Amino acid sequence: MIFRRLFGRKPKSSSIARQRLKVVISQDRFDVDEESMHSLQLELIQVLAKHFDFQIDAVQLSLKQRGNSYVLTADFPHRRAGQ
Amino acid sequence: MGKVIVVTSGKGGVGKTTSTANLGTALALIGKTVVVIDADVGLRNLDVVMGLENRIVYTSMDVIDNRCELTRALVKDRRVEGLTLLAASQKNNKDDIQPEQMKAICEELRSNNDFVLVDSPAGIESGFRNAAAGADEALVVTTPDVSAIRDADRITGLLQHEGVEPINLVLNRLSPEMVRKGNMVSKDDVVALLNLNLIGVVPEDRGVISSTNRGIPLVHDNSSQAAQAYMRIAKRLTGQRIPIPEIREKGFFSNILEWFSGNR
Repeated sequence: MIFRRLFGRKPKSSSIARQRLKVVISQDRFDVDEESMHSLQLELIQVLAKHFDFQIDAVQLSLKQRGNSYVLTADFPHRRAGQ
Repeated sequence: MGKVIVVTSGKGGVGKTTSTANLGTALALIGKTVVVIDADVGLRNLDVVMGLENRIVYTSMDVIDNRCELTRALVKDRRVEGLTLLAASQKNNKDDIQPEQMKAICEELRSNNDFVLVDSPAGIESGFRNAAAGADEALVVTTPDVSAIRDADRITGLLQHEGVEPINLVLNRLSPEMVRKGNMVSKDDVVALLNLNLIGVVPEDRGVISSTNRGIPLVHDNSSQAAQAYMRIAKRLTGQRIPIPEIREKGFFSNILEWFSGNR
């Protein structure tokens, strides 16, 4: 610790603030936890599986920032005929 | 038809009232007619910051309860032409006013003023909702610290939900020296985090304390960087395109000058 301090390796508090703010702001903006994202994924699979054929193990749900808001994107790769 | 702008922040103590007083005064100094409304029912302060506390007879509550005409409740600022204050009641609480009543007051005032600035109380509850009810636009005030920035983002979400547009950001109390040393997030960091249009940066200025002590908004004396920043924001609110300059760090020489002039 003393060594680190002597050589000024301590990260600047402004960059710590920036990182922490990125996390809390995105959590505040999109108020969803891991667990509910997972159950949402399972439910979507159940519904969509009734209508078309896709690779269940390749389904992906992701949250992307677009401007000031967030967009929930779900990828359901279609299984090609003969595969 | 004038514009109704709510000045808000979520967090308290970031400079909403100081900003409302200075921007209201600055707009009047450039020839606009302005009403500043204190929407902080029960905890009013815009009157003392503007030095008008001894002249209040009626408040917005008297107008709502039909004890007084709206125009009679407005307190004229004696230092600048065209600036009036509508004070908040100190004896009531925030739930005694409904959003529609506040909206009606704003609508009436905008018809014969260029600007109506509503100083919102801190928080996201009824006081904020009343303040935002009649607003077309918002100024979100924040300081460069984590709690103020986080709350500014929350309040921005609520304003967007209410359909208030545009929402402009005022970054208050920035210390260029602390940013340089890596102890404060920068202007660019705040803009990137909040993703709002920045309308001005007001530097940290000890002169704000003495101006509040006297009840004379800083912009009356255009010598400080903070006063100049508020003047520029006021001009931008009128549609003038003025770039946001980088804030200078105070050098040795300007500190000596300030010491001799004895006003800090």
